[in-house]
Amino acid sequence: MKKLIEHFSDYPMLVDDNPKLQYIRYRLGRLKHQLWLINRKNKTDILLDKHDKFIIDNLQPGKTCIFGSAGYYLEQVIEDLTVVEQWPIVKRFYPAAQIIDDRSEISKLNGRIFDNFIVVNNRGDIWCELSVVEDHISKYLLAMRPGCLFFYSFRDTQIINWNRLTTDHYTYFYDFAKQIEKKYALNLVWHDIKFAKKNKDGNSDYDILENPDTTNGNIKFVFEYQTKTKIIK
Amino acid sequence: MEKTIKIVEPFALYKWAKNFKRIQDKFYNKKYKLRRIQQIEDFITLNNFNKVYHIEETWLDFELSSDIFVSTIKDADLILVTHQGYSRYPCKGIIEQIQKWTAQCSKLYLCLNRHYLNIDNQKIDLTLPTDFQKAISSWLQQSLPNHVVIDLSRNYIDRGENFTWSLPDRHFYIELK
Repeated sequence: MKKLIEHFSDYPMLVDDNPKLQYIRYRLGRLKHQLWLINRKNKTDILLDKHDKFIIDNLQPGKTCIFGSAGYYLEQVIEDLTVVEQWPIVKRFYPAAQIIDDRSEISKLNGRIFDNFIVVNNRGDIWCELSVVEDHISKYLLAMRPGCLFFYSFRDTQIINWNRLTTDHYTYFYDFAKQIEKKYALNLVWHDIKFAKKNKDGNSDYDILENPDTTNGNIKFVFEYQTKTKIIK
Repeated sequence: MEKTIKIVEPFALYKWAKNFKRIQDKFYNKKYKLRRIQQIEDFITLNNFNKVYHIEETWLDFELSSDIFVSTIKDADLILVTHQGYSRYPCKGIIEQIQKWTAQCSKLYLCLNRHYLNIDNQKIDLTLPTDFQKAISSWLQQSLPNHVVIDLSRNYIDRGENFTWSLPDRHFYIELK
């Protein structure tokens, strides 16, 4: 009889000792890694998606940090980019990455130096309550200069411990942004919160598609730290 | 030569979907089995279902004889739905789909992924419990008054470490009265 498990921790994973499995596990949750695989070999083009373009078009001059987002695929289009990840396996294929354990290490390693800070659908930031997301954000702030633009996006489906049947989703996430705006001097200068629109097709069936922009997250915010001077296009 | 930026639509989103459980299996050795898979196998075996119509997305590799699976609903004594795409239907669509299924075969074992429910953010005009897991059960029971709805799920907070994308977490046996 095989041991029955319900949770990742119910049986020891082999991943820790096996770089190939570490890489597969890392890749499973990081769709943007695919862009890096393509772009590093493409001699003529750099493939990006619309959200990448949105971020690039709105970056301000200076230093940019991208955390937990497989952000090395942006190295060819963002000058002075610092890539920070939590998975040591990243160092094997992208040696320039800073590998940290706790988010507070970002400011310890770099200081308060960043003019742009990007977190796009970071698997390490989700699968938690919004209160934990807030805690993560409070640590990112320590590495931001005043006026820093903070691009933050995630998926509603991977925020836990809220009742999706009784809660208005839009209000839930918008109120979260307004709450941290007040608490941390993070001015919300742009947001985009979208949910799937479901209509029947010709066979009276619904589509089975996910919420919009599974890759980057359907909940997107841009904050400006301590000031409110930027216009996001 | 300077490279040109090209904007592309996200791709390969569902590249891993069918194979997702088999990939997760590689993270362990062969000595474990997902409890929810065992639960489904036991449910089928102990209740003597032997004509199961299975609607699946992710390959689950049931340890059941292939003889018990049938290829059309009309031949089935049980519909088993593990395809999580139906969890991405709007709530009213899920209820309509259950009614369509049970009109063809009165017994249904339905697995829903809690994280997708009410994907389109529609107001549900029912009084539901505060606890999300109880609310899912109550929503189905209230919406299907001509069905028996039995919640077969275990309750826990899913922090993304419960193999939910291999096999959805909320399990219901639904039977037309």
